[in-house]
Amino acid sequence: MTGFTALLKKEIREIVRTKRLFILLGIFVLFGIMNPAIAKLTPNFIEFMSEDFAEQGIYIGTIKVTALDSWSQFVKNMPMGLIVLLIMFSGIYTSEYSKGTLIPFLTKGLSRDSVVLSKFLVMLMTWSIGIWLCFGITFFYSDFYWDNHVVKELVFAAFCWWLFGVFMISCIVFFSSFAGSGIQVMLGTGAVYFIMPIIGMYSKAKKYLPVSLTDSISLYKGELKPDDYFGAMIITALLSLLFVLTALPLTHRRQL
Amino acid sequence: MNVLEVKELKKSFGSKKVLDGVSFDVPENCVFGFIGRNGAGKTTTMRAVLGLLKADGGEINVCGEKVSYGCTPKGGCIGFLPDVPEFYGYMNAVEYLTLCGEISGMDRKKLKARISELLELVGLDKEKHRIKGYSRGMKQRLGIVQALINRPKLLICDEPTSALDPVGRKDILDIISAAKEYTSVVFSTHILSDVERVCSKVAFLEGGKTAFFGSLEDIRALRSDTALELTLVCPNDIEKVAAAFPEGKETDGRFILPKASEKDCAELMAFLSAKMIPIKRLERHEADLEDLFLEVIGK
Amino acid sequence: MNVDIKEYLPLLIPLIIVQLLLLGYTIYHILKHDKYKRGNRAIWLVVAIIGMEFIGPIIYFIFGKEDD
Repeated sequence: MTGFTALLKKEIREIVRTKRLFILLGIFVLFGIMNPAIAKLTPNFIEFMSEDFAEQGIYIGTIKVTALDSWSQFVKNMPMGLIVLLIMFSGIYTSEYSKGTLIPFLTKGLSRDSVVLSKFLVMLMTWSIGIWLCFGITFFYSDFYWDNHVVKELVFAAFCWWLFGVFMISCIVFFSSFAGSGIQVMLGTGAVYFIMPIIGMYSKAKKYLPVSLTDSISLYKGELKPDDYFGAMIITALLSLLFVLTALPLTHRRQL
Repeated sequence: MNVLEVKELKKSFGSKKVLDGVSFDVPENCVFGFIGRNGAGKTTTMRAVLGLLKADGGEINVCGEKVSYGCTPKGGCIGFLPDVPEFYGYMNAVEYLTLCGEISGMDRKKLKARISELLELVGLDKEKHRIKGYSRGMKQRLGIVQALINRPKLLICDEPTSALDPVGRKDILDIISAAKEYTSVVFSTHILSDVERVCSKVAFLEGGKTAFFGSLEDIRALRSDTALELTLVCPNDIEKVAAAFPEGKETDGRFILPKASEKDCAELMAFLSAKMIPIKRLERHEADLEDLFLEVIGK
Repeated sequence: MNVDIKEYLPLLIPLIIVQLLLLGYTIYHILKHDKYKRGNRAIWLVVAIIGMEFIGPIIYFIFGKEDD
């Protein structure tokens, strides 16, 4: 256990000193501000373009922006945030394995489980701070300009996104236990990300796929209730747990 | 009691047999030289001892505890210095060593004292910069400190001196000799003069086997004979000398008298001065590790 | 377009501050280092400034910054 806390401190120091934390949080803050900003600017932008549209015979009436537009931007930007997270952390395990920086610690009796779990926890922390920071800023501005009450289940929808992010992080942990490089981890996790919607298109299991957690718009509009998401939530949580737990024995068998 | 025992260690990579029955043991407070050519399997053996590599056969005991793959011996028994130690560039030496100490479960107060003591020993105590800017020699020294931090019973160094300049090499060897006070050191190398300088026991690794294993005195006893090497001013005189000392032979314009005793030496000198043969150089050759090494590997 | 700029200030000021921080730090980092994983200083300055919003700095820190 002493090894785990020492390693956790090291991981936090690492993301602070390599500026990864700073950049990631900066981006989530930026997204947080941009979501309402884009929604706010849309009518002006369309007004600006409407002369061109009028020439083509398209007429646009006045558009009324509500908090829903701001939250739609939130949903659109979240995959971007996840991709940045994935790129930043894809090499978190493999670079240490290939450089051999962990070997002195392992020979001092550090367990490999501590290595896997401390890095997992740091990614989890970064992602949690990031998404809720972004959520908080968007929430504040949306309430400032419009009214958040027209949008339903805001916190629950964000929680679904958070859980989906946890699933992506578990994918990084899982692929890192046998992949040779950060690029391979990125490709593996990316493949999971893009294959899920494809499976969803052809199968009835769509409702239970982790990716269905990212459908926040239906929640916002009240078309779906939180109950409709519980199946996917449980599946996602179990899959994440399974990925992390399988990564432990795989890392033990890995040649370092 | 032996700190390290390796018995009949075997390992192949694919069809290539790297280790084919390596056996040796290391007693307490001993500097052990592990000698072999590049690619002889030194690093493979060490990684197996550390539990970082799965051996195909054989047995390894560290401090009386059996080593198995994937779990390094507990209790901070082994310190390891890799051939090219890699650290975290964003930390400074004290931060890195604190991390090492915390991982091995050391007491905070003791750790602090130990770090400053060791950094002073290797001359890194004035270095406040981050490891990113360290030179190769500095990294090697920090690597030794890292390995010694929890006073291990066994220190394993993989080619600690191979990439260093003469001054750096001397520093590292001095540190290793000093560490002998409380630990046994195994270090692999192909630089034989380093071995002669600090080791008390050696093992030669050749063809995946331990070709020789014993103390430095054993080696000297094995090859106690000394040869005389004579270079003359005028090469034509060699024939005269050769006629008087038939057991000698001529090579490359030099005259070599093998297995020469003190008496042979005196006789040779008397002969030279009696015949008024001018000489350039007369040298006594001690049999050294290199001769034995070459003999062992059959070259 | 008679937009009341005051209405946008609460959004624009933090947005600009965060972007300038990110961009400023990126340029500072590029100028402070001589070695990059790939590319050279001029290329990275152009990338950071053209992709101003946040993409330029991200691309630099992922693909250009030398590992510690």
